[in-house]
Amino acid sequence: TSGFLRVPYTTCRSLVPPNDDTPFSPKVFDENGTDVTPQPLYRPDPAAVPPRQSKILMAQDVSGATFSDFFSSAFHTTYASFGGPFTRSLFESSIVSKSSQSTMESLNEEIEEPSSKREGIISLSDVQVRREEVKEPTTEDVLNKKVDIHLTETETLCLLDIPATSVSVESEEAEIVKQRNAAYTELCKNRMGNDKYVERAMQTFNGAPKAKEVQTKSITKVDAGKQTTNWDIYDTLSGTGVEGVVREPPETEESNLLDIMSNHIEDAPAPEVILYSEKFQQDLLVMEKVVLQNIFQPKLAAYRQLPILKDPDSTQKPKDTGKTEKQIQKTEDIPSSPALEPLWSFTCELTVGRNVSSMTWNKMNPDLLAVGYGHFDFEDQKSGLVCCWSLKNLKWPDRIFHCESAVTALDFSGHNGCLLAVGMHNGSIATYNVQSKEKTPITDSSEYPHKHTGPVWQVKWVSQERAHSEEEKGEALVSVSADGRICKWVLKKDLDCVDLMKLKRTKSERTRRQLGERERRSELVIWREVPGLCFDFHPEDSNIYLTGTEEGFIHKCSCSYNEQYLETYKEHKGPVYQITWSPFSPDVFLSCSSDWTIQLWRQDLLEPVLVFTSPCMAVFDVAWSPKWATVFGVVTEKRLEIWDLGASILDPTIVQDARPGVKLTSLQFASESDCILLGDSDGQVGVYQLNLNLGEGTQIKMHCSILLFN
Amino acid sequence: MAEVEETLKRIQSQKGVQGIIIINAEGIPIKSTLDNSSTVQYAGLLHQLVMKTRSTVRDLDPQNDLTFLRVRSKKNEIMIAPDKDYFLIVIQNPSD
Repeated sequence: TSGFLRVPYTTCRSLVPPNDDTPFSPKVFDENGTDVTPQPLYRPDPAAVPPRQSKILMAQDVSGATFSDFFSSAFHTTYASFGGPFTRSLFESSIVSKSSQSTMESLNEEIEEPSSKREGIISLSDVQVRREEVKEPTTEDVLNKKVDIHLTETETLCLLDIPATSVSVESEEAEIVKQRNAAYTELCKNRMGNDKYVERAMQTFNGAPKAKEVQTKSITKVDAGKQTTNWDIYDTLSGTGVEGVVREPPETEESNLLDIMSNHIEDAPAPEVILYSEKFQQDLLVMEKVVLQNIFQPKLAAYRQLPILKDPDSTQKPKDTGKTEKQIQKTEDIPSSPALEPLWSFTCELTVGRNVSSMTWNKMNPDLLAVGYGHFDFEDQKSGLVCCWSLKNLKWPDRIFHCESAVTALDFSGHNGCLLAVGMHNGSIATYNVQSKEKTPITDSSEYPHKHTGPVWQVKWVSQERAHSEEEKGEALVSVSADGRICKWVLKKDLDCVDLMKLKRTKSERTRRQLGERERRSELVIWREVPGLCFDFHPEDSNIYLTGTEEGFIHKCSCSYNEQYLETYKEHKGPVYQITWSPFSPDVFLSCSSDWTIQLWRQDLLEPVLVFTSPCMAVFDVAWSPKWATVFGVVTEKRLEIWDLGASILDPTIVQDARPGVKLTSLQFASESDCILLGDSDGQVGVYQLNLNLGEGTQIKMHCSILLFN
Repeated sequence: MAEVEETLKRIQSQKGVQGIIIINAEGIPIKSTLDNSSTVQYAGLLHQLVMKTRSTVRDLDPQNDLTFLRVRSKKNEIMIAPDKDYFLIVIQNPSD
């Protein structure tokens, strides 16, 4: 049996078994006292073990292994005979984990061999118990420790060895082989007539052939194929493809694209879900616009000043085509006289019967038009309506806002293209966001204590360049109303307004003189303020503005003074309905009033430069053309007049009568095109193309200055 | 919901519109203003056409997708708005 190693280190004595002499094999005695200890199956050669042990010692001394390594290896060798596979592996692992030195590895290998033969022997000695105690804490540690796994090569196993029959010319054996080859050829030569070689035939057995059959199950083959496309691959890679893509392709031979697609589609949603989904509504609106564009394509092309292309597939009777061709030829030869050509009109069942009170273009999107509907008179007041029309859909407005009171004024904000300010007949001002689908205003001044008490006749967004503080920069909403106040509205936390001007009643000199003294005294001034009907800010200086009142006076005011007027222009004899500065000449403005006149003023002259009296009825609206400096449009109750000052200052260039039974109410020029919009009392906004055959810009400016050379 | 009905009515009442068909993703017509046989014929043929068109557009650039398809012929124009769940088809003859 193996003895134990007498270890010179004292500290390991605790782990060394107490009795030094007895071997570690447990002794089993039966009742008679005979020793019936089962003999170990293998007795290691004591001569073999110690040299190994000494080798271990030496190896360790040389390699400088740690102390713990040493005694664990000592344990290993000592108890190798008793170690079962359990303990051996434990120690092995502990050894392995502690060092990865090559000596230890080789050690393991050597030790492994004897212990592998000793399986099945488990010692039950005290040491074993103690070893087990030691084992317990280490198992957990061992589990957590890193285990180094070393892969080693086994011996080369030779499976097949066919020696070569040819030898390289350069090898050492070449000479010998050559000699042998030569000898052989000589032998063959000599063989022919030699007696030493005799030919003899032999018969071999032929084995009886036997047929053998094997039958296997038929191997089923399946052809699987899938037709895929570029985007299918892309979808799968990006993970956005429909679920069915990952499924196996159908086993049928159908390669129809349709079927493959339909296999991939999950249960289609129910029809109601589709029909009422948001996306469907949007698609419907787009489709509507497409259909309408098809119908109105020539008109829209004219609006956009594009050449109108004739539809090559249109099925028209040959008689008609003949006529139109001749007409076209005629018009091409003669330069056309100024004319208004009707294109289309914005109207729908909602707006029929309502009076168009104001129109304004969106500043950011010139294809968007807001139209306000509301009656001017106090009688038959219906609720007001604001419709946002788009050029893409000529038959139905994009947005519809219902207001509680008749709409009298509109303006789109310049800074924020979605804000629309609406002034109403009951004096309240509301702002709407046209981008959202909400029908309610963002701000509403109807609860505000200082709101207007009379109809708001005009609202305008004015950008404040000169401001007292940073927060005032931006845009302010200015409104004028029948209660005689011009207010600037600011939205800070709440809606807040500042009175820019209180329009006070001023009597002209003439009337004062005419009134007798008694009459003057008894005249009671009931209402000190005079209703303001319109205003316009100077295009270059946002501090100066003009305002027209019901008395017929035009006051030039400044934002800095809210008590005094800078100037008063007294010429009109009736309420001034509209004032506009000229977009081309900064000092010139036009005013129109119910006294049947339109007057052209220069800022510094208190008398009008020109007075136009063509219409014989009240003039409701006047507007400068944004393209031509001498052209402006005038709207009276029954007529639309286009004046061109370059052509004539006495007569309008174009006169267009309203449709019978309808009164015209408002006018707007289109900035991107040659068209004008005309609103009437039946809820229609007609779009007309203006053909004036005029050049642009500068030449006209000279005309202007010539005219004003007074 | 009522808006959808209104818009459909408005489109139907425009000049030259011959019919509106709505088919679901499988090619089955859900709603139509034409007679049954025409509807079924249009639905079947246009479904395939849209699939082919969509496949073409996506093959050229997988990040692209088909949004609208218009087929102009001698007698009329077919406009198709395709979506994942449905196709909206309108047939119009603008010169009527």
